[in-house]
Amino acid sequence: MPEPEAPFGVLGLYPTAQALLEAIPGIKARGFSNLEAYTPFPVHGLEEALGLKKSRLGTLVFIMAALGAVSAFLFEWWTSAVDYPLVIGGKPFNSWQAFVPVMFEVTVLFATFTAGLGMLFLFNKLPFFGSPILGSKAIRETTKDRFGLLIMPVEGVLDVEAASAALLETGGSGVEVLAAPDSAPPGLGWWLKTLSGIAAACVVAGFGTAWAIQIYPTLPPMVHMEVQPRLDAQKADSFFADGHGMQLPPVGTVARGYMPLLAKSPEEAGKELINPLPVTPAVLQKGRDLFNNHCAVCHDRLGTGKPWLTSAYTAKPANLQASTYREAPDGYIYYVISEGKGAMPSYAADLSANDRWAIVDYVRALQRSQHAEPEDVQ
Amino acid sequence: MSSGSGTTVRSLLLLSAVGLMGAAATYLVEGPVRFWANWLVWMVFGIAVGLGCLFIVALEHQVQSIWSVPLRRVPERLSSLALWVTPLVLAALLGLPVLYPWAKPAGASVPAIVLKSAWLNTPFFIVRTLICVALWFLAYGLVVKRSFEQDRSRDPMITVRLRRYAPLVLAIFALTLTTVAFDWISSLEPVWYSDIFGVYLFAGTFLSGLAATTLGTLYLYNRGRLPGITKDHLYNLGGFLFAFTVFWGYIAFAQYMLMWYGDMPEEVFWFKQRTTGGWLALALILGIGHFFVPFLALVSRKAKTSPKRLRWVSLWLLAFMLIDLYWLIFPAVGAKVRLGWPELSFALLFLPLGLLAARAAMAKGEDTPVGDPFLQEGLEFRL
Repeated sequence: MPEPEAPFGVLGLYPTAQALLEAIPGIKARGFSNLEAYTPFPVHGLEEALGLKKSRLGTLVFIMAALGAVSAFLFEWWTSAVDYPLVIGGKPFNSWQAFVPVMFEVTVLFATFTAGLGMLFLFNKLPFFGSPILGSKAIRETTKDRFGLLIMPVEGVLDVEAASAALLETGGSGVEVLAAPDSAPPGLGWWLKTLSGIAAACVVAGFGTAWAIQIYPTLPPMVHMEVQPRLDAQKADSFFADGHGMQLPPVGTVARGYMPLLAKSPEEAGKELINPLPVTPAVLQKGRDLFNNHCAVCHDRLGTGKPWLTSAYTAKPANLQASTYREAPDGYIYYVISEGKGAMPSYAADLSANDRWAIVDYVRALQRSQHAEPEDVQ
Repeated sequence: MSSGSGTTVRSLLLLSAVGLMGAAATYLVEGPVRFWANWLVWMVFGIAVGLGCLFIVALEHQVQSIWSVPLRRVPERLSSLALWVTPLVLAALLGLPVLYPWAKPAGASVPAIVLKSAWLNTPFFIVRTLICVALWFLAYGLVVKRSFEQDRSRDPMITVRLRRYAPLVLAIFALTLTTVAFDWISSLEPVWYSDIFGVYLFAGTFLSGLAATTLGTLYLYNRGRLPGITKDHLYNLGGFLFAFTVFWGYIAFAQYMLMWYGDMPEEVFWFKQRTTGGWLALALILGIGHFFVPFLALVSRKAKTSPKRLRWVSLWLLAFMLIDLYWLIFPAVGAKVRLGWPELSFALLFLPLGLLAARAAMAKGEDTPVGDPFLQEGLEFRL
């Protein structure tokens, strides 16, 4: 048989906030120092009267916020400068300027989470579902128009008689003793009840949902465009005899503005294809824009194959200034742009035939610019 | 007036006279550019403190704030600095061809300046400046002057009228302060673009107004002339100082980061010249001193109610407003960081004059707006 525990506390009610404030020194003078007040609204001076210590939450939030700033910076520095360096907008990998917004966000995140969770769990000591004050008779009044004062035990000892007398003598009324909450850890029965309750709730919710879907199938809000009759690519359709939604073009036809590349190798293309574009300033200008947008990132703006970017990687783009490519026919270069070569992918999807020929013309101009003939300077 | 205060006035005037000689020597020895650049720093500083206080008064009426009513007389009194600064502004017009590239003949050959010449030309600039000054007198008359009359008449309708004019004064404040920022500071480098620059100057202006208001309040508070003012009122001033320290940092960094990211030549050169050479040290000092130091000094709850702490942070922030203006203005007119006897002379010239103007202003009317019907309610304010 364990010793009878001290009660949670003795609660008394005061008619006004002023009466509560005036009663507290008297209660303290009688030797009760562990006090708590329950009021329907915040009362000025109550913290000082109760002698509550300054909350440590602010300090904690500050430390965590600083930690948030530092850890965000370290993480950004590690991801952008150490682990996976990417060139973004030509900035250095380790650019503190770009890190600051994220540092700010993480600082705020750490601070708010620390403030919210710290308040609830560290200082309000949640989860604590059964505060005896909730079961008291006075709970209605203290949330409406009475000001409650609770005398709690000091080091587990509370003289209930003296506490009740102290409350009554300082103008309190409705004194009640609140029993200590059951602090024993939950037993097997509690766990069984809780877990089977959760399981039952899952089963009911699952079957209920399944049943409801049978009766009320999901109703999309607006389906007019989704259900219209049409042929879908890659889908079966009864419209055509073969049951395919997508049909092959008739044999021998070519789409408008599209010339299939029949050559099977760059050498073959070099022999067969003729550059259809005349070399005019407009064509070269277009070729330069396209080259600088699509090709220069690997082949460099001069076509040397050594731009500053690739030095960070292992790829070895072709040096278009090399004699192999200077002597290669136009069709060879056209084929490589269209079909790719080695690590270089096909650019046929991005560049039309005319675009590719314009680039070929511009590559020729680049090569000429680096290997000028005597008559070019006359 | 006691003989002690007479001595103070005389010694301040003496200091100012020494400064005046130094300023004149600056013009003769160091040349007009350095003279007018220093002049511009102090002119904008005076505008910032005065208009900042005027803004606080108008803001209080606009949001019908009650807690600040007992303190309102301080910004009301100090807002007259915005009017005292008028001679400085008018004199600075003489410096236009010295400081501003668009006012020089050579400016006509720079395409970016020619593009902006519809706005940046001397006659229109003078007209704008005169309009701004006139609007400040108007704003002062609308939102401050009657409050002093209320001390005698105790007419509650005056409060209603002040509140009615507050939005107009706020609009005047926003337009004229942005004009000051774009005309007097930004156009030192007319090629530069920054939409946020007006807000940047606003952040510094509001902070300067708050710092001046806090100093004025503490001056009265420490002499027992503000009975009923509690730490709760001081806490709000401290909270404002703290909040707008962060606001300044936010705006300053936003302007910097966007330009750093965009890397457009017409924007980024401005920062480049302010973050290279000796200016980098000054930029770092500015970032630390204008943001981190006051931030850490005011972050705790206790600090915001401590008169001692509030006083030095306010003085600190005013000093950093000056450093900020120096950092904004001087790189535009000279390549090197130059802090020497000319700058000291200008401080000697204008600081005593500013203190005298503030001192005269602080003697005007009652210490609290005794005729305001919300005064009692404001005194009862608790956090």
